[in-house]
Amino acid sequence: MGNKPSLIREFERVASLEYKDIASQLPGDCIPIGFFCPYVPEEMLHAAGAFPLRLMGTPIRMSHVQAHLPPNCCHLVKSSFESLLRGELDFLKGIVFSHTCDTMQGLSDIWAFQKRLPFQFDFMTPSNLSSERSRPYLKAEIERFKAFLDANVREITPQDLKASIHLFNQIREKTQTLYRLRRKWPGWISGSDFAQIIRAGYLMDRSRYLNLLGQLLETIPEKSEDNGHPIPVFLAGNMTHSPSYFSMMEEAGASVVSDNLCSGARFLRLVTCEDIDPIDALTERYFSSFLCPAKHSGVQAHIETLIKEVEEAGARGVIFLFYKYCEPHYFDYPDLKKALEAKGIPSLLLEVDDPATSQGQLKIRIQAFVEMLNPI
Amino acid sequence: MENQLLNNPYRQIKSTAAYRRLMMAYYFMVKHPAWFGKKVAWITSGGPVEPLYAMGVLPFYPENYGAMCGASRMSPSLCEAAEQKGYSHDLCSYALTDIGSSFTGKGPIGRLPRPDFLVCGNNICGTVIKWYEIQARAIRVPLFFLDTPFFHDELHQHNLRYVEKQMGEYIAFLEDQMKRSFPEKRFQKVVSRSFETISLWREILDLSRNHPAPFAAFDAFIHMAPIVTLRGTRWAVRYYKQLKRELEERVKKGVGAFGREEIRLIWDNIPIWYDIRNLSKLLSSNGAVLVADTYTSAWAMEEPDLTFSLDGLSRAYATIHLNRGLGYKTQKMAKLIEKFGAHGFLMHSNRSCKPYSLGQYDMRREVTRLTGKPGLIIEADHTDSRSYSPQQVEKQILMFLEIIRGKD
Repeated sequence: MGNKPSLIREFERVASLEYKDIASQLPGDCIPIGFFCPYVPEEMLHAAGAFPLRLMGTPIRMSHVQAHLPPNCCHLVKSSFESLLRGELDFLKGIVFSHTCDTMQGLSDIWAFQKRLPFQFDFMTPSNLSSERSRPYLKAEIERFKAFLDANVREITPQDLKASIHLFNQIREKTQTLYRLRRKWPGWISGSDFAQIIRAGYLMDRSRYLNLLGQLLETIPEKSEDNGHPIPVFLAGNMTHSPSYFSMMEEAGASVVSDNLCSGARFLRLVTCEDIDPIDALTERYFSSFLCPAKHSGVQAHIETLIKEVEEAGARGVIFLFYKYCEPHYFDYPDLKKALEAKGIPSLLLEVDDPATSQGQLKIRIQAFVEMLNPI
Repeated sequence: MENQLLNNPYRQIKSTAAYRRLMMAYYFMVKHPAWFGKKVAWITSGGPVEPLYAMGVLPFYPENYGAMCGASRMSPSLCEAAEQKGYSHDLCSYALTDIGSSFTGKGPIGRLPRPDFLVCGNNICGTVIKWYEIQARAIRVPLFFLDTPFFHDELHQHNLRYVEKQMGEYIAFLEDQMKRSFPEKRFQKVVSRSFETISLWREILDLSRNHPAPFAAFDAFIHMAPIVTLRGTRWAVRYYKQLKRELEERVKKGVGAFGREEIRLIWDNIPIWYDIRNLSKLLSSNGAVLVADTYTSAWAMEEPDLTFSLDGLSRAYATIHLNRGLGYKTQKMAKLIEKFGAHGFLMHSNRSCKPYSLGQYDMRREVTRLTGKPGLIIEADHTDSRSYSPQQVEKQILMFLEIIRGKD
């Protein structure tokens, strides 16, 4: 069993790896396949013997991307494409896009145009999750993805797929426990460490990650440490697992008790039923509780989901942390804000371009917001 | 420039008077549906309108209205109204214009007609999903969403089946809203008229293969309104027959849209609605004419399914220009250049339309490689003039025209 500081250091090390470091540390027979979004069933990549590597954006100076993309694309898209153009992703054997927003859709086409990676697959998830017709369509799309992996990576046997589903379910279960413990004992793991732990999970071998998570959970203190009673806040937004945001919130006296980030708690909702046919189970999970703003599930779904989660988490305020130019989130924002206000829950909108820059102003705004949540 | 224009006069299309009467009548009906005993549905520009006409529902197109607000330069103030309510400046200006118009009751026709329900098809973009969700909540009316998965390279059978099955749900939705069964025979008639209108529109656009082109793309941007809003009606068929006759007469006489046509260009993307007149003047005063475009030709289907069935309609709506990948768009542009004998192409990098604009830089290089013709990208927004720099665009276009003259 590892001790907490050494385990945290290992998560931090992995989370801060650059692509070239990841490439150099992969075993020779590894088949790394990149993906962006939780709508891509990682379990299938894993079951095919590939190493699923989530592209989460990196702090990078843009010098090539301007010749291909207009400026109004989010940092995730720009920085990932910049990495591709620089050759930093040449170690990938393939890339899988899923259908979400217009920018990702456009990126997929431009990415394919460069012909830098051996293969590319577009996993076309339905945008309408409220139609009964969407289930058979998604199932057929999952089967098409399986046939593609069978032909291009390795044939996926039912046993392999079940084993991969089990592995990812265990990861989700342990991460869920981590969330619960942080809510109970906010001081046990700092916000920035927590962000690194989550980020590392998408960049390393999943069996090893599960093992490290298990060891970390064994370091739970026997009783709560006095942590100064931070203000519980809910973090809403996209894929912004940058440790600095979590630190800024903690320094201001708040603690993120839950989130709906697509690299965070939203991922936890993808727990897959292990008692039915695995393809059916993978299909079904996208209709039960996982909802991205780019998807439609009735006109009130996004509002109702957020309110429910904020109330369940016991948050006193909501911080919206959006990548600049993320249209699905910005369209939802005014009505979400209004619905929260109607429940007496204040909110703060933070817009970020490159998470590595312009943090000074954000810090002041977060401090002011947290002070407002906790008047003397 | 005025002097130069005198040397290259624009020839007014006579049918424009009939076009104005037609659109005025349409907007009058949509604005006062109760007088005609009709219900109104708001629908996206790529949404299946034929079932609405078959059910006697009047369609209203917020995007078309957005274009009207853009052309009348009312968009910036309407966008600002939406921004004051918390909507980001970076969102699509069609959506912001519509939302701003709903908030303020302002716009070229005043307060918009209240819809009885909404119909949204994402074959044009993902933006419309969010936009229509917002309006459905604000107006408290039902929303039907037709999901047409984008196809990057090939259309798969399960993809098509998904759209066909949803078309059945659409019909059931309409029957529920209208409290009556779907009139199959009438629907066939509407689809037949719709395809006739599409064929007429394609024939009209194809007339500009002639030298000189009788119909500039700037004309098409105006005269496209009936193909969008009245597709499936007798009115649209009658109007486009009239327009076609007039343009065929021009071809016979060798008369072009402008007196002088030295450079033929293709346009890509939605027009810059608030600057159409200036851009047209700028190009024509330099002997350049836009002879075709990827936008209005999106309504000129190449191979309509003449069985006039719901399945045929599903395929038609699933395979429109904006729902297809960059490879298709590149080939289409290259074909337009060849078909229309163009010397080059202008691409509007439209900050409000990502499905159109993402990929244009790569597409420009590839089209030039395939055709040997140069392309220019200009930065603007289709309705919001706040981020448009006309002087810079003018300079870019003049330099581009010089390059083309130098090549030929």
